[in-house]
Amino acid sequence: MSANRLIKIELSKLNVHLPERRLSLREALSSAKPQVVARDGSVHTFKREELEFLAGLLPEADRDKLQLPILIALEPKLGRGTARISGEAEAKVVSQVLEKELTAGELLIYRPEVAILRRKLPTTTQYLFLW
Amino acid sequence: MTIALAVSPTRMELLKLRQRVGLAQKGHDLLKEKMDALVIEFFEVLRRIQEARTKALEQLSVAHRALSMCFAVVGTLETRQVSREARRELQMEISTHHIMGIAVPAVEVGEVERNVLARGYSIHTTSSVLDGASREFERALKLLIELSELNASAFALARELEKTKRRVNALEYILIPRLREALKFIMMRLDEMERENFIRLKRIKAMLEKRE
Repeated sequence: MSANRLIKIELSKLNVHLPERRLSLREALSSAKPQVVARDGSVHTFKREELEFLAGLLPEADRDKLQLPILIALEPKLGRGTARISGEAEAKVVSQVLEKELTAGELLIYRPEVAILRRKLPTTTQYLFLW
Repeated sequence: MTIALAVSPTRMELLKLRQRVGLAQKGHDLLKEKMDALVIEFFEVLRRIQEARTKALEQLSVAHRALSMCFAVVGTLETRQVSREARRELQMEISTHHIMGIAVPAVEVGEVERNVLARGYSIHTTSSVLDGASREFERALKLLIELSELNASAFALARELEKTKRRVNALEYILIPRLREALKFIMMRLDEMERENFIRLKRIKAMLEKRE
């Protein structure tokens, strides 16, 4: 197999842990077993305490807007260790968790902040690799 | 170097190689990002292991103190006898959850600490000191289960980290330098061919001028 093909396969495998369909916070809260099915067929379950923590950060009306899991997009062109949080509700929640000022609709966070975010929201956040 | 010389020095090959270098570089950058993310996850698990280990060791020390007290009050032989009578079946649900596609075990255990009547020994013939020791060991067991789950997660993450690091290194130290070397070789060869062509044309021109 050529090196090119190997690299392509490697890149395609980077995002297999992502869900086929994301859940809104409201859907997750109302579900008895809040979970999503990943592209590789595995099931990813959200912890209820995390969902309740997120619900406490958002006004009732925004619960439909927040899509779970929150994606921490790692993009090499942003620079090593820099991640982007897209989506208005997602950026709002993350800025509150990290106590960071939100300037636009999206948020850029850096490696130490990614570590804090993952520590506080281990099941409701996931990495997304973009190229 | 041998690989660099094996490629044919054509413009087509140069374009193809440039594309391959771009792809390899992209792959390298992304895998490096993945490695960074894995390191974050790994250190987080290590931090939790440290906390869980401290808690478990403290609890085990409390439990062993209670057991020593039990040996002293009830007697060693009697305590051993009671431990043989005690029955334990612990229901555990072992599933997996995924961190970036890596399956790590998730152990869900019910209540480990039991009612004194559920332990299986007679409470009429034993002391409350023994109940206390049993309770402390049950608490320690719960903490040890949590610790083992974290240990397994750390192993899974470490394995993936090692694999990713090997791939990053293969790209960084073998594939990309080889491709760059081949690229450099083709560019030098094409420049050389251009120079040869230029000289040839100059000489032809000079010869034609001489003939006139």
